[in-house]
Amino acid sequence: MKTLEVVPLARVEGDGGITVTLDGKKVKKVTLDVHEGPRLIEQLVRGMKPEDDVNVVPRICAICTLSHKYAALRGLEKALAIDPPEKAQLTRDLMMLGENVESNSLHTYLLALPDFLGYPSAIAMLNDYGDDVKRALRLKKFANHVMEVTSGRIVHGENPGLGGFGKYPSKKQLSEIALRARELVPDAVRAVELFASFEYPEYPEVDTNFMSVNAPNKRFGLAGDTILISKGKETDAEDYRKLTSERVVPHSFAKRSDYKDKSFAVGSNARLINMGERIEGRAGDLFKEHFSDRWLKNPLFNNLAQAIEMTWALEQMPEATEKIAALEDPKRTEATRDTGSGTGAVEAPRGVLYHHYEVKDGLIEVADIITPTAQNLDDVEVHMKACAERMLADGRGDDELLPALEMIARAYDPCISCATHLVTLKRL
Amino acid sequence: MHKLRHTPGDPEEALTKAIEEVIGNGPVYVLGLGYVDKADDGAGVLVANALKKAFPDRSFSEHDGLEGIVLDISEKPCPGTVLFVDVGNIGEAPGSIEVVTMDEIKETEVSTHKVPVALMAAVLERSGKRVAAVLIHPKSLEFRGDLSSEVSKAIDVVVASVSIIMESRKVT
Repeated sequence: MKTLEVVPLARVEGDGGITVTLDGKKVKKVTLDVHEGPRLIEQLVRGMKPEDDVNVVPRICAICTLSHKYAALRGLEKALAIDPPEKAQLTRDLMMLGENVESNSLHTYLLALPDFLGYPSAIAMLNDYGDDVKRALRLKKFANHVMEVTSGRIVHGENPGLGGFGKYPSKKQLSEIALRARELVPDAVRAVELFASFEYPEYPEVDTNFMSVNAPNKRFGLAGDTILISKGKETDAEDYRKLTSERVVPHSFAKRSDYKDKSFAVGSNARLINMGERIEGRAGDLFKEHFSDRWLKNPLFNNLAQAIEMTWALEQMPEATEKIAALEDPKRTEATRDTGSGTGAVEAPRGVLYHHYEVKDGLIEVADIITPTAQNLDDVEVHMKACAERMLADGRGDDELLPALEMIARAYDPCISCATHLVTLKRL
Repeated sequence: MHKLRHTPGDPEEALTKAIEEVIGNGPVYVLGLGYVDKADDGAGVLVANALKKAFPDRSFSEHDGLEGIVLDISEKPCPGTVLFVDVGNIGEAPGSIEVVTMDEIKETEVSTHKVPVALMAAVLERSGKRVAAVLIHPKSLEFRGDLSSEVSKAIDVVVASVSIIMESRKVT
């Protein structure tokens, strides 16, 4: 028996590794191991007031902080029967567009691109692809600005709250965002062109399921009250436990999810597979041009999907800002009850994020948070195992195998810090 | 390669001199790194915030979106130096300070989803800027822990030393 290890797994958020167990040339097991310590956030917020919870739970992660904020707001607003005003909804949409560009620009250009170009890191590709590194920084700077204008700060903004916002962006800020978003579309399109130009190896290909929210009004979007399962099937987000049946495994501090005993994927590729035909504009054209059936089997296409989605997000901003600017600043909507339950489902950059709450007499009794990375972990392992088996059968050596497995894990853009907040502690 | 270890009790002038030796012509920018909720881990942010009062256009922390700041500095035509300030395991007593040059800012891309510091440093260097780091050895990185007195004193020393240098290179 032989064991190969990639520890630590680089260019992902958090502390993880890959272990491949071989019996001769036969692959016994491939695991994505999560070493990041448990965070126990759900226990921490029990007994808290909802308005305090929405400021605590985003601390799970500094990358998708606004997705956690938005999911918590959606879940708690359902629980407390709060119907936020239209301007608040539109401003939340804009902040999510900002977070999407912030995360996808970093992941495509700086974390995934070196894999495809054959460089050990973005630093190593600086001499040959210095302009692309600067494109990433430009996009990230702009996206940080969008998040700051909408949420109050670049990281962990406190401006969005239950029933509305503390302060809405000014018309000047909104028009500046619209202008700059238009200017930056070519930087996103360049990422699409790069990722569309690569040869994608067939080794990791396995059919899988894809889950995403079903955005309302038959549009592509980053929040919804129902969940689509690989086109067509639709389930109420309140039934999220049926979609994510969770379990623990010995090699990971993060829980795992499966759907009907099979792995599934969430993230940009899942969103585009389930809702991509709804995208209009340049991003819609790019999707139609580059989508193929191989996206349904090969997780490496997630990076191309992220680039197309980033283009979509930038193209959405002028319309979103125009709608926000046309509305007067409303007062926050107040809660109409103090006892109830609700589930918020939003699309974090890495996929569907659920926040479920049960509130009694104005205090949180139950909090349940299911992150996209926790949902993806089984799927990562399935594709890594298939890849390892095929590469070894093809006579490929360990020196080729391990980077290929790392590339698969990174393609999912895993956020291990997010995934480890939810381990159940059992004392026997 | 330059390295200076400044241990608690050493005169501030020695640190000022060591920093002056690694910086080039033009203005000095401070970029503070860290996580203030983890005890001493936030030292770099606290240094940047303290300097920001006197030098709002030249001192920034993680909370300001460093990638954009780095991009802006890299596109300035004039020479300059960027000092990253962070905690680091330098194998000395808590509160000890080390000044390191670009060569020693290693390519660490582990456990991060941010733009790596080494990449930001490389972008700056490519644009003709000098890059160095000031590291403070922490006593505690405990979540929700208090800032240790040793690191608190080191922060004061770094702020005082860097202030003198930034004051002498005011941008007109």
